[in-house]
This record gives sequence, structure tokens and C-alpha cells, in this order.
Amino acid sequence: MENFNTVNSSLLLAAIFTPILVGLILLVGRNLPRSFATGFALTAFTLPALITVWFFLPCAEAYGSVTQYRQTNIWGFCFGLNGISLPLIAMTALVGLAAGIKALDQEVESRNAYLGLILFMLGGTLGVFGTNNIIGFYFFHEFALIPTFVLTLFWGGEGRRSAAMQMAIYLTVGAMLSLAGIVIAMQTVGLGIEDATFEQLFLAFHQSQLPLPAATTAITLFGFGTLASLFPFHSWAAPGYSAAPTPVSMIHAGALKKFGLYGIIMIVAATMKIGTGTLSHWFLWCSVANVFIVGLICFGQRDLKQMLSWSSVAHMGPIFVGIWVCATQGVAEGLDAAIFLMVAHGLSCAALFLLANAVRTRTGTYRFDELGGLARHTPVLSAFFIAAIMASIGLPGFGNFWGELGVFLSLRNQPFILQVFVVSTVVISAIYALRAVASVFFGKVSSTIEARHAYAPIVDLNGAERTATIILLGASLVIGFIPSLITNYTNPEAQALARIAQAKPFKAAPLQESPRN
Amino acid sequence: MNSVSLLHWILFLPLGAAAFSALFLRRQGAFAAWFSTLTAFIIAGLALTILTQTSEDIKWHYELGKIGGISLGFGYLIDAHARLMLFVVSFVAAWIHLFSVGYMKEDEARGRFFAGLSIFMFSILGIVVADNLLMTFIFWELVGFSSYMLIAHYFDTDFAAEASKKAFITNRIGDLGFILGIALCLKLYGTLDFAELKLQAGSAVPIALGLLLMCGFLGKSAQFPLHVWLTDAMAGPTPVSALIHAATMVAAGVYFMARISFLLAPEVLDWLAISGAGMAALAGLCALAQTDIKKSLAYSTLAHLGIMGCAIGLGHPELAVLHMAMHAFFKATLFLGAGSVIHGCHHEQDMLKMGGLLKKMPITAVTFIAATLSNCAVPFFAGWYSKDAIIEAAWHGGHFWVFSFLALAAIATCLYSGRMIRLVFMGAPNSKAATHAHESPWTMTLPISVLGIVYAVGAGFAANILIPHSSLQVVEKSLNEMAFHLTAPATIVGAGALILGFLSFKFYGWFAGQDSLQKISPRTYQILEYRWMDTFYNWYIDKVQRRFAEFIVFLDLLVINGLAVRWTVGGTFAALGHISNAIFHRGQTRLNAIWITLGSLLFIWFLVR
Repeated sequence: MENFNTVNSSLLLAAIFTPILVGLILLVGRNLPRSFATGFALTAFTLPALITVWFFLPCAEAYGSVTQYRQTNIWGFCFGLNGISLPLIAMTALVGLAAGIKALDQEVESRNAYLGLILFMLGGTLGVFGTNNIIGFYFFHEFALIPTFVLTLFWGGEGRRSAAMQMAIYLTVGAMLSLAGIVIAMQTVGLGIEDATFEQLFLAFHQSQLPLPAATTAITLFGFGTLASLFPFHSWAAPGYSAAPTPVSMIHAGALKKFGLYGIIMIVAATMKIGTGTLSHWFLWCSVANVFIVGLICFGQRDLKQMLSWSSVAHMGPIFVGIWVCATQGVAEGLDAAIFLMVAHGLSCAALFLLANAVRTRTGTYRFDELGGLARHTPVLSAFFIAAIMASIGLPGFGNFWGELGVFLSLRNQPFILQVFVVSTVVISAIYALRAVASVFFGKVSSTIEARHAYAPIVDLNGAERTATIILLGASLVIGFIPSLITNYTNPEAQALARIAQAKPFKAAPLQESPRN
Repeated sequence: MNSVSLLHWILFLPLGAAAFSALFLRRQGAFAAWFSTLTAFIIAGLALTILTQTSEDIKWHYELGKIGGISLGFGYLIDAHARLMLFVVSFVAAWIHLFSVGYMKEDEARGRFFAGLSIFMFSILGIVVADNLLMTFIFWELVGFSSYMLIAHYFDTDFAAEASKKAFITNRIGDLGFILGIALCLKLYGTLDFAELKLQAGSAVPIALGLLLMCGFLGKSAQFPLHVWLTDAMAGPTPVSALIHAATMVAAGVYFMARISFLLAPEVLDWLAISGAGMAALAGLCALAQTDIKKSLAYSTLAHLGIMGCAIGLGHPELAVLHMAMHAFFKATLFLGAGSVIHGCHHEQDMLKMGGLLKKMPITAVTFIAATLSNCAVPFFAGWYSKDAIIEAAWHGGHFWVFSFLALAAIATCLYSGRMIRLVFMGAPNSKAATHAHESPWTMTLPISVLGIVYAVGAGFAANILIPHSSLQVVEKSLNEMAFHLTAPATIVGAGALILGFLSFKFYGWFAGQDSLQKISPRTYQILEYRWMDTFYNWYIDKVQRRFAEFIVFLDLLVINGLAVRWTVGGTFAALGHISNAIFHRGQTRLNAIWITLGSLLFIWFLVR
């Protein structure tokens, strides 16, 4: 265990706790003057982005590896970064900045409380990727989730009550299940929860070689899967994102949801091992269902935000498959590409939610049949939306392309039918995405928009919306043109985890051994 | 400057120009037009510099990064094929840019249009220079995107919105196979680099590899069964149809197949030969039943792409590339000529409403007719060199059916060409628009004169003067072997076809303002006009795919969201509440709360157990 140098550790703490502290101030000081609150919040949204982008520079030496953290301990939490969490925390900070710019641009009731809760959410999400002990991991996750429920419940859109309730139940149960699995696992190797870091958990398991019941792994896996909207535990996601206020959907779908995926990578794949048995097959086919079945569900949507929410669920499919192929078959490309896709999806999906909201504020509707021909009035919005949707369907130049392609290529030794199912996402996503573009922006100007335009002229994107979109799409373009920015960090980790998966699975776990092996 | 840095400039100059136009020139249409055109001519100049200075292969490679063990390569491989393609793309594109300056003069969104053309240049040049499959695929996708954006140029019309979507999605279906092919290639040979693949691929290449990689070609080059998008793509502005949907992008599929021809198993080649020839014959006949001048030309493009695919299938990739080049010259001229006619007739595209334009638009008419003769493979015109060689190759290879289909295609070409010339340029004007037609400005007539009079006519016999010598390496042999034999099968077919073409020229003069075939045999016309595959796909999308998707949505709501989630959770609590109620007889809130808590704990225990 290496120690962080003091500068980096204080910077990491500042990145996590500035939003939380400022959020607290805004919550307490609900009558603070508007300009004061705006300045404060903007600082708190910007600072983490600056710090994490600095971490990204090689000269910062801010990170260790999966098994060799650079960390600092404080109040029972261990803070530190590895090659997987570094890109994720940077993505979170950028999504948070864009969401913050959007939130500051919105006119809402009790603005200070709204901003404060969003800052809590951001701080919690940054904390999830900035800690490396189990307590911190769960603490910050819950810390981010509770504001999510509250924000959806009080500031959300249509159907917010049932969506918030459903989301709360699902996510709490998912988190509890995964935690229960981890606790059982730790008891097996005799590790106390108070001092368990990812690293200790990992070492303890690999030294003891004790058998772990397959059910425990399954609970942890599907618990995390629920949080990352793995089929068939996805029902909360689309209504949840649709009903939440835009900055909340951006942070939740873009960044916070990656908690589940990160948990699967760090705990289920690295520590518990999925093996190649029944469980592995269940995980695989659930992931494929994310690609294929949820992809088809996207076809059936008649509403822009619903469609984007569902597509965000569908895009988890290739990520799960990438993790699967690394964790069970020992193919390093899979994990590398999955992390790439996690980062790129966070950026593109946040941009899409942002722009969809821009459509709604201008036209008053999300419904495809009421929209049409918007490009005539808002060329910049249309261009950005097309860019964002092209990013999300994996156009080269944007980061998503490397992620998707990497996952496809990592499957090259798998059965052909599996490859066909997973690669079919390039067609499925193109169909629903372009259908959305055509029905919202192309064609004749719809009567709804015509009427609205006659009442008050529809204006193009304002400065705040432009800035937020440029941050997100710009970051996606940067990693799209220079993929080594991400892969240099993730590749050693992916190779390490692939080697773990290639090693023989733990003994005496009958469910994990497939009869053929 | 060495040739690698020249290639950097050739590739990235258009990207820079596109970014600059998109960011700063959205409202300076005129400036954007000339800026983009200047860039295109600079690229052509740089390409000519490379082609005249060097004659050996240029290689350069750089690793962008690594995903796991896969190297993400970016590099250049300028071999004999790439040289000819580089010349054709950069040269034809420069003239089409100049044409667009005039053609798009009154368009409000010129900035967007020229930015789109520049991004297209970046993408297609990337395919030309790419040295590995991955990079080819990247630019393949970008070409699809730029084509999408340019087809959607008139986005406020419903058919342009539909056509752009259709083009992109159809291409993506082809790319599905392409990606699987790349994965298979990586699995078999562990590399995606063309040079290494060539070394490693032995004589026994699996059929599947060729079939999968061919899917990409089927999509991009609009071959059966993915040909349906090309005729709709004519919704884009005419220069786009000329550059992308006739001369370069659709030909990129042929170029790609020629580049990886060592990965194609004999069975794949057979399929390419027969389906290409069949496509050529069928599409040529369909061109007879189109009244829209651009759609008729689009069918002609389909036919020629079929001929190129057939040449690859016959084992003559060099002939395919030769025909690709010659076709680029005469088909670009035909489309630009059509654009000039449409421009002159105030955006009238219906050939039956034209007529008598020879006198009103003499330069356009002469170049168009010259390009048509090249299209019909009149001896010693550019098209004759490549097309007759392919027909001859089919005969000598002993492929009877392929030869017959190609002969039919040659006849069909002459038929629709005669019809087109008769309807558009001869006779009397059939509408007000044609009566008031006027010749186009120099920015439009100069490009069609250069491409039509000089290249569509002379690119064959004067190739050594008109085309940089180093670009001709791959086709030199076939060009020199081309000699006029009165008794050669291809010559007999060609002569017969030309006679039929002349008869068709006469035949279509019978009824002014009407289609003679439609008048005489409406049923034949209808069969040729009807879009069988489109109808089938529409049926599939409406009746199968959409219903299936709706069924899945319903299942998700009912089974997962309803039964599994709501009923299990709600049902458990309801049952517990009922039991507690039954036990304690009173609806005491606190007790119920306790029971519900206990029940949920039990439920969680049940899951965790």
C-alpha cells in the first residue's frame, strides 16, 4: 500500500468534499442571496473537474493500480485512486460540471436547496469512485442516492411519485443485496467490515483460496446488476430517469449508475470470480437481453426522453458483456473496452438528457408525434443533438466507438451467435436513434411547434446549454481521437484482472464449475 | 516535404476545413464555398505531387493505443490500387466542388453543405490511404455519416429525412457483417494490418471471412440485397449524388474488395460474379422505367457497381478498379450534367417534361452526350476500355451466365442511354421550364467540360497523358492489352448493344412528352418500375419488426414490471397484511407496520439465503 503524496491526497479530498460542504451551506442557508449562491455553487461544480483533469495528467502520479493503491485514510474512509476509478472519477466530475451549469441555468422553486442537493449527489458520486474501502464505497453511494430520490420527488416531472418510489425500493434492495453478499464473503475469510479495503478483500481471498458459495457471488452480482439496470432488474431505470429533473438524470444515468458496474468489476470479477459455470451463463444472457430486448423496447417508445432513458439501459448491455468476457474468459480487451464505454456513455448520455430537455423547454413536449422540423428554428441544438446521438451509437471520433468496437472484438473467440446478438446493437441503436432525429428535427415543422413559435419565437441554445454540451462532447471527442488517454490507465488493470480470471477458479464451488470443463 | 507528411496534409486538411467552416462560416455561405473548393484543389494538387514524385509503395504506421492486446493502428499504405483511387477521388472531387459553387449559389445553408463535403473528403481519403482493417472501418463509418448528413441537406422535406435515415441504417446492416468479419480476421490471423494479412492468408481462406467482409461492400456499394437506399439517396443535392453516390463513396466498396481480394474464398468470388452481373442487368432495365433523371442515373450507377463487383468475382480486381476510375469520370459528368439541366430548367427533374435542350444548353448537352457514349462503351471511349475487358474476361473465364447477364446489362445501358438523350436533349421542349431553360455559369460548365470532354472520352486511350503514370501501375497491363477485335465476343455484344441503343433513341421519339414503353406496354413498364425489395422490407418493418418490438414492450410491462416485480413484492405485502389482519382482527396501524417490516425482512432473507 503506497501512500499518496500529500498534495494529491488533499486535492482528492477537496474534489469530493467541496461539493458536499457547499451543498450543506446552500441547504442550511436557504435564503442566501442568489448571486452568492450561484457563485458558490459554480465554484463547487468546477473545482472537482479541474482537479480530476489534473489527476489525469501523467505528471500528477495520482493513481496506483487495482492491487496497489495510493491511498490516504481519514475518519475510517480510505481515499485513493486506481487505473479504473481514475477515468471514472474524471468523467463524473465533467458530467457534474455540465449538470451544474444546466442546474444554475434553470428556474426552480427553492433554488438553493435544489442546487445543494445536486451538489450532494455529485459529491457522493465522486466519493464512490474516490474511496477504496467497502464502508466508504457504500456510504458515498447512499449519500448520493438519497438526494436523488428527494430531487426526483420534489422537482421531478410527470409520474415522479411512483418513479421515485420504485427507484428507491429497487436501488435500496439492490445495494442491500450486494452488501449482504460482500459481508457473507468477508465472514468466510474472516475479514472485518470496518477495515476492509478493496485491496485487502482481494488479497484475503487470493491467499485463503477458501470456497465461496455460488449463491453469495450471485447475490452480489445481481445486487450490483440491479443498480446498473441489468435485465430483468431494469424496470426502475427508464421511469426514474424520465421523471427526474434533467441535472439529476444526467448525473444518475451518466455517473452514479456506474457504481454498480464498478462494484461488479472490483468485487465480483476481481475478488469473488464469476467462473464459467451456471452463474456466468445467467449473467451473460441477462447482459445480451440488455442489448437486444431492451434495444427493441426502445423501438416502441413514442417520447424522446423515454426513448433516451431506455437507450441508456440498452447501452449497458455491451458494458456488461465486456466485463463478462474479461471476468470469465480472461480476455483483457473486454474490460478495457467496458471501462472505455462506461466513460464515453456517461458523457454522451448526459449530453443527450441535457439536449432533450432543451427540446422540451422550447417546445413544451417530448412526444415524437407533436415534434418535427425543429432544425429550422434551432440549427445549433439540432447539430449538437445529432452529434450526441451519433456519439451514443458509436460513430468513430467519439469515445463510444472504441468502447463498442473493443467489446465486439473481445468476443472474437466466443460462439458466433453471441457475437451476432451483441453486434446487432449497431443496427438496433441506429434505427431508434435516427428515427428520433428524423421525427424531432427533420421533416416539416409540426403544428405544435408552429403554434408555439407564433406565440413566442423559439430561440436556439443559450450560452449555458452550449457550454455544458461542449464540455461533454468535447471530452468524448478528445478520448475518441486519443484513446490512449484512457487505455494507458485501464490496460494494466484489465490485463491483471484477465490473468486472475484465467487462473483456476476457487475449489469446491460446484455451481461455478460447468460440467464441460 | 516527404510523402508521408504530404499524406498527413491530404488527410487532415479537409478535416480542418470542415471544422473551420462549421464553426465560423455558417453564415458566410459564399466564403465557405470558395474556401472549401480551394481546399479541394489544394488536396488534388498535393495528391498529384505525391503521384508524380514517387512510384513505390508508401508505408507509415502509428499506434493510437491498445485495447487489451489489440493494437489500434493508424497508418498509410499507398500501393498501386491506392494510387489510382487517390487520383480519382481527389481530382474528381475538386471539380465537383467547383461545380457546387455555382449549383448551390442560392442555397441558404451553403456553409453546412460545404462543411459536409469537406468532412466527406476527410472520410473517403481515409479509406483510400488506410493500411489496416480497423482504420478502414473507422473511415467507412465516417463516410456513412457524411453521406447521411448530405442526403439530409434538404431536411425540411419528408423524403430527404426518410432517405437519409434509410441510407444510414442500410449501411449499418452491412457494417454488422463487416464488424463480425473484422473480429473473425483478428481471431484467425491475430492482426488487422493489410500487409501482414497478405503474408499470413494462405490459399485456404475460410468462406465465412470473405462473406462477412463482403457485407460491408454490399451496404456501401449498394449491392443486392442492400441496394434499396441508393435510389432514395438522390434526395440530396445533385453534386452530392455525383460525388458520393456515383463517383467515390459507392466505389469505395469496390476498392475495399480489391484491396482485400486475397481474403476472398473462391465461393465468395463466384457469388460476387453472378450477383454482380445479375444486379447489373436488372438495374439497367429498371433505369428504363424512371422518369426522374437522377433516379434513372442512380439505377445506372447500381448497374455499373454490379459490373465492378462482377469483375472482382471473376478474379480481376484490377479491371474492377479500372472500371471504377472510368465510371467515376463519366458518371460524375452525367450527374453534373443532370444537375446543370435541373438548374437550367428551374429544378425540374422529370425527363418527360424536358426536351430540346441541345439548343438551349449546348455545352451541357455535348458533354452529357460524350459521357453517355462512354457509358455505352463506344470503342475507344473511356468506358469501353474497362467494360469490354470485363465482358471479355467473363467469356474467357467460361462463365456463361455471368457473360449473358453482362451482355444484357450492356444492352440495357444502351437502351436507357438512348432514351435519356432523346427525352432530355432532342425534340421539342415539353414544359414551360424547358422552354425557358438557359445555359449554366462557367463554374458549372467548366467542370463538366473537363470531366466529360477530356476524361470521359480520353481517359482510356490517352490515359498516359491524363492520369499520373504511377497511378496506372495496376491497370497498365489491362489497358495495353485492350485491342479492337471485330470478332471478339465483347465487341459483338457491344456493337449489337449500340445498334439497339440507336433504335431506342428513335423509339423514344414516337410520343412527345410521354414514355413510349409505358404507352405501348404499360405492364412491362410497371414491372420494371415497381420496387420489389422496398415493398418487402417495408412489409418486414411494419408487419414483423414493429409488431415484434411492441410485443416485447408489452411483455416487459406485463411480465417483468407487472407480474414479477409488482405482484411479487406487492403480493407478499398484501398477503402478510391479510394474515396480520386475520390474526388480529383490527386494522391497527402499528401492528401492520411491524408485520410489514417483518415481512420485508423475511423476503430479503429469502432472497439472500
